[in-house]
Amino acid sequence: MARRSLSEESEISAEINLSPMIDCIFILLIFFIVTTVFTEEPGIDVVKPDATMDMNLEKNSIIIAISADNHVVYGGKELGIAGVGARVRQLLNKNELPVIIQADARAEHGVFSDVWSEVKNAGAKKISISTRNE
Amino acid sequence: MSRRTIVGDEDAPEINLSSMIDCIFILLIFFIVTTVFVEEQGLAVNKPDSAATSVSEKEENLVLEIDQQNKVLVDGAEVSLADVPARVKATMSEPDIPVVIRAHEKSTHGMFVSVWDAAKKGGAQTLSFSTVN
Repeated sequence: MARRSLSEESEISAEINLSPMIDCIFILLIFFIVTTVFTEEPGIDVVKPDATMDMNLEKNSIIIAISADNHVVYGGKELGIAGVGARVRQLLNKNELPVIIQADARAEHGVFSDVWSEVKNAGAKKISISTRNE
Repeated sequence: MSRRTIVGDEDAPEINLSSMIDCIFILLIFFIVTTVFVEEQGLAVNKPDSAATSVSEKEENLVLEIDQQNKVLVDGAEVSLADVPARVKATMSEPDIPVVIRAHEKSTHGMFVSVWDAAKKGGAQTLSFSTVN
């Protein structure tokens, strides 16, 4: 193996082989593209009720939150019970998504029931209640 | 500027990849920043039909009532939440009896979910709810 001396390698520019790095970055990129879901999070603090018989819900879904003082929130904006139906119908028009109602444990059942009926009437196929597992 | 001929290819031609790497990096950073790992857990609430529930009020269904003070009542008698699964299981001796949770409008959602969960634990197959005021 011929070893070049330091003095004569100045003509040849040193190059780093970038292809393994590109491979790595591509794999990372593909991972993030695949795992990304663009869900509108309600953006309020909700104390979810406990449940033991729960299951994992779809990641890509419409999340409607009900706060402890009975405000109905979607995507950081307050909707009000009357606004839920129109909003959900509009979202379901684009693509068929399941709906998750994320209600606070201290919220009134009446509000939850109204939101549930609104969502159901808007044509949602699958409605779930969000819970916390111990 | 001296231009090499195709014949003189001792050194392999190289594509300059750095601009592509820049693009990919920007995409990568975008996706890293926007990714949220939402982990939602919950119960599926699928009442058969919201309009048709009151029509088919069969006699042999189990009604779990939640009153204004968040107390659970079965046939007018108060039952603790821990006893609900056993109560449901006893009714489920002949399967396919619908279980109805009749919750007061002013009761809390937390209580409703607890009762739903307890009924499910007791093996209730067709669960539904109605709201009274």
